[in-house]
Amino acid sequence: MNVDIQSLGTFNQLAHEGAQQATQSLAQMTGIDAAVDVTKITLLDRTDVGEALEGREFVGVQFEYEGVLEGDTVLVFEDESAETIADSMMPGASENPEMAQSAVKEIGNIMMSGFIDGWADYLDSTIDHSPPTYIEKSGSEVLPDAPDAGDHRQVFVFKSEIEWVGKSVNFYIYMLPEYEPLADAMVESADTDDDAIPIDKLQTFNEMTTSGTQQAADNVEMMTGIPTAAEVTQISFAPIEDVPKQIGTDTYVGTVVEFTGRPSGYLMVLFDEVSAVNVAEAMMPIGMDEDELTDQHKAAIEELGNIMTSGFVDGWANVLQTSVDHTPPRLVHDMGRSIVDPLAAQVGQQQEHAFIIDSTMRTDDIEFAAEIHALPNEQELRAALDDLDVERADQTEASVEQIFE
Amino acid sequence: MPDVLIADDSEFMRNLLREILEEDHTIVGEVENGVEAVEVYKEETPDLVMMDIVMPIRDGIEATSEIKSSNPEANVIMCTSVGQEEKMKEAVKAGADGYITKPFQKPSVMEAIQDVVPS
Repeated sequence: MNVDIQSLGTFNQLAHEGAQQATQSLAQMTGIDAAVDVTKITLLDRTDVGEALEGREFVGVQFEYEGVLEGDTVLVFEDESAETIADSMMPGASENPEMAQSAVKEIGNIMMSGFIDGWADYLDSTIDHSPPTYIEKSGSEVLPDAPDAGDHRQVFVFKSEIEWVGKSVNFYIYMLPEYEPLADAMVESADTDDDAIPIDKLQTFNEMTTSGTQQAADNVEMMTGIPTAAEVTQISFAPIEDVPKQIGTDTYVGTVVEFTGRPSGYLMVLFDEVSAVNVAEAMMPIGMDEDELTDQHKAAIEELGNIMTSGFVDGWANVLQTSVDHTPPRLVHDMGRSIVDPLAAQVGQQQEHAFIIDSTMRTDDIEFAAEIHALPNEQELRAALDDLDVERADQTEASVEQIFE
Repeated sequence: MPDVLIADDSEFMRNLLREILEEDHTIVGEVENGVEAVEVYKEETPDLVMMDIVMPIRDGIEATSEIKSSNPEANVIMCTSVGQEEKMKEAVKAGADGYITKPFQKPSVMEAIQDVVPS
């Protein structure tokens, strides 16, 4: 089954406009000035949906919908904002828990009706939704079970992040459609086969990337002795201008490389500052016990980034039976968005939307987390997927012994 | 003791290789790109070159090819993070005698050297 880039772009735009409509409803009812920060379509393993919500408490509303699209959608607020929202709608509402719940349900109902109606109008059909169900849970538990994907291991999720202007509070809209009706709707919306993406191969590519992330995690473990596990790997699709927003405003230390071949693009290995010091210390033969990044730490991070990059892309090259070259790593130490901005601008010269491949790895032993983000050229990724022999997908490792025997 | 030239753009990795090798080898030079690798090789003609692949100015495969053209008896071990089959074939074509993928530990480095320059 093929889905063209244009219909992925259209569906993303639809989700974005729906989120904007929902945000306007919020502003009208509460006076809260909010803006849609990011909207993206993500293909990921069903067990990883909502990983970004971990560690926080949420309240919100959930709907089931059916018609031309089927599935669940939720709107969630971080719980500390729920009282403000309730009081904005009706002063004093937060003092009465039942009234507060009712206020959240009502605003959720109004916001999400606009969101769903936009989809129905575009698809020239009807989508019915259930009455809202109030939810109050931790992390990803706030989301419904990922939809049935049939024979597919991965699911599409539409996610919008809405920022409360001037406050560090976010709202999230997750739309979790069942796979087949969504894929059918996408195929129906396709105008041309010229830029079609074979969806099944995109899933296989995602799995190859998971294997690359595990290889990168193994490399970290071998160099540092820190047991490291690959966590989430996902492929998202978003407008170019939204790409830098996905990395956020935290400060990162890491490396950037440009890779060439099929596909070409940019790859970032990023650590938060504490993780960078921890991992660099672990690489040193003699502990330096410094809290801040020294030149030696940076040299260690540069080499680790180089090795992690190779671990990540080598599997693509081996399965595709091609070579993917990359430049020497360039050390970066800046706000996430500032690191990504120039790379997105480069990629944006040839395309309006981008696929973003994101991976994370973690350890429980010390404070350590790393992210890998790849920004491939869209046309070359498509060509690579065309060439991908699914039967070879597990052949990510090359044998030095065989080649040098 | 065999003479070794280390070519790697990463200071961290040059230090690591030096620590692994200096007990049993004489390090005749440490360089950070392929151009310098060829120059120092021609000056020192070491018994062995430990050659990274991804380096600025000139990569390790081109440098290996040039070293092997000037001296087919030269011993070069690619010492790289790149684990791609096509790249390994390119390295063989350029004349590389061995290939170690990073991250590595001392035993695998010593084993690769023993295969190429038996003591």
